[in-house]
Amino acid sequence: MSRRFAVLAALTVVCAGVELVAGRGMSPAVVWDVLGGGGDTTERHILFQLRLPRLLVALGAGACLGVAGLVLQSALRNPLAGPEVTGVTPGAVLGAVAATGLGLAGWESPLAVVVAACVGGCAGAALLWLLAGRGRSDPAQTAVHGVLVSAVLGGLTAMVLLVAPGELGSVVQWLVGTTEGRVWQHWHLLWPWALAWGAAAWLLAGPLTLLRCGDDIALAAGLSAARARALALLCAVALTAGAVAAVGALGFVGLLVPHLALAVFGADLRVTLPGAALVGAAVVCGADAAAQLSSRLLADALDSGRLTLPVGALTACLGAALLLLVVRRAPSRTF
Amino acid sequence: MRFAGGWQLPVLVALLVAASACALSLGTPYVPLHRLPGALMDADSTLAGIVVTELRVPRLVLAVVAGACLGAAGLVLQEALRNPLAVPEMLGVSSGAALGVAAPLVLSVSLPAAVQPLLAIGGAGLGGGLTLLAAGLGRSPSAVLLTGAAVAAALQAALLVLMVMADQLDLQLIYRYLLGSLSARTWDDVTGLWPWLLVAVPALVLCAPVLSVLRLGDEDAEALGVRAQRARLAALAIAVVLIAPVTAVCGPVAWVGFLAPHLARWFNPAADAVRWLPWSAAWGAVVVAVADVPARLALAPVETPVGAWTALVGVPAGVALLRSGSRRPAARRRAAGTVAAGSVPQGAQAVPAGPSEKEEPSTGARECVRRAAPGSDGPSGVSASRGEATGAEEVR
Repeated sequence: MSRRFAVLAALTVVCAGVELVAGRGMSPAVVWDVLGGGGDTTERHILFQLRLPRLLVALGAGACLGVAGLVLQSALRNPLAGPEVTGVTPGAVLGAVAATGLGLAGWESPLAVVVAACVGGCAGAALLWLLAGRGRSDPAQTAVHGVLVSAVLGGLTAMVLLVAPGELGSVVQWLVGTTEGRVWQHWHLLWPWALAWGAAAWLLAGPLTLLRCGDDIALAAGLSAARARALALLCAVALTAGAVAAVGALGFVGLLVPHLALAVFGADLRVTLPGAALVGAAVVCGADAAAQLSSRLLADALDSGRLTLPVGALTACLGAALLLLVVRRAPSRTF
Repeated sequence: MRFAGGWQLPVLVALLVAASACALSLGTPYVPLHRLPGALMDADSTLAGIVVTELRVPRLVLAVVAGACLGAAGLVLQEALRNPLAVPEMLGVSSGAALGVAAPLVLSVSLPAAVQPLLAIGGAGLGGGLTLLAAGLGRSPSAVLLTGAAVAAALQAALLVLMVMADQLDLQLIYRYLLGSLSARTWDDVTGLWPWLLVAVPALVLCAPVLSVLRLGDEDAEALGVRAQRARLAALAIAVVLIAPVTAVCGPVAWVGFLAPHLARWFNPAADAVRWLPWSAAWGAVVVAVADVPARLALAPVETPVGAWTALVGVPAGVALLRSGSRRPAARRRAAGTVAAGSVPQGAQAVPAGPSEKEEPSTGARECVRRAAPGSDGPSGVSASRGEATGAEEVR
């Protein structure tokens, strides 16, 4: 197990390294030089004020989303319950956009954005809870209802954006999820939140492992299933909201990462939860590096400087492919 | 509920008349109802006449035609896939069409207006075909829907990449287009739709009886001499031809194809696909025409896209209708289940499938037996009324 952790950690470090050198404007040799203490002011600024915080934010957001997805899937016993398909992410986006659009929060008061995203995420999850009703136990039904909830929340977001059209340009990047232009402020906001709720999630790892076995077994083992589930859901919503407030709605990371983590580390969440954080960080970081590299290549090929590929688009495509796989791999079940 | 079918026509006509009256008379300039005929008569001489004939009438006509197309297409998809949630939005059809239209706009490739519907059709066919290919045609409804959600998400991601690349002006345009808007549409847009309708309507009429046969299930349909897979593909093609031109003109007006068939079914639960088809088209027209009034007037100087309104109202209302509709077949099956549990699976396949009725026949029978247990209906009723309550909140 520790060897797997070591391999994954190495992979994350490699991804982080690629991410540091992937951007435009500096060759790898210059990056190495700057890290060694050389380079002129511009290069130092690019590396330490732009690329490093971006890297850290990508790592932190990926870890948050990975843990949130795993907690959700375990608490609801539903392999399709990512934050995206349970209404949490669209709700968080709606909350943040509404708070920004109505002037209650802005980039100057980032904590308000996080709180608004959190409230919105809770509202989205509650809406799904009400809508799914008795069909909650059927994973595919819940997922389908989640898509419906997302549609309603998306409509509301659109209305808010139309009331405050000036925000559209900055918000669109955020609807798809991007790590572009993230600076130290975002990181300072993200890490205490992520650390606190991540620790809470890790404390819940034991109960969650029991919950995965089913309510009957959990009750027999002396666990108050309803309370543990409520706490776990709160944890997942808070983690998702933090990540959404930092980088926007990164598509399908919360759905993709838990499957990878479970495949690598097995079903014991005390091990898998940190593993999911590591996998999430590696995936988002790697996707960001790939997005930067490919947008660089595309810009060279198409000869247009303004082309940038947001990382959210890449993760959405990956996640869509994975969703297809999950749906196809279980032909005998009802979904 | 028995006389609901009789109420359908008056309700429909009243809503349509009210919506058209509002659409034609309200706004700036305000044209009182009794002056409308006069304004229509001398169209070119007065300002009111020009506004009414050149702006408001084509907009109303477009809303009605687009709504009818979307409503009919929604019913065709739902019946062909035997799935009450199979709507263009969930199958990647709408996103594909939108991508086909938005891509040349952003990449600033200038195209003649006649090519636009073709691009939209290409995109819609791509999205829908991809979904059905990936899911497999005969798979269970939820599998098709989740696959559709995945395909739609991928197409959406492509769209968002385009939006990130666009500059501020293009962005506003695309965003409004993507939400579905009827603002500033003229007679040219309306006349552009006719050729496609000429193709689609006869095909729809020919296809409707086959749809009723498809509802019996694939095996029964094959036994009756219908090639189920081919018929399903044809139905999908018709739906694409209906949806794509509308999307090309006024964007993906969301969830009309979800709401309209459910309204038609709710008013007339005992009929079959042939009967539902015109009603579904009519309800689609009414929904879009009604939704266009607040879209135009709610935030008066600013126009809100009609698609946002239909999404906000359509989804909760449709889910509520779905719930109340699926309670009735359950009750019917409970009555049947106590008599002969063995004969139930066929019945379960034949009734319009609610969300909880997609199991394989064996589980269907088990489900039925479980529901036949006394007292098991309580939670369903409670949750359904809760769903309606949230729906009402959304409407407010």
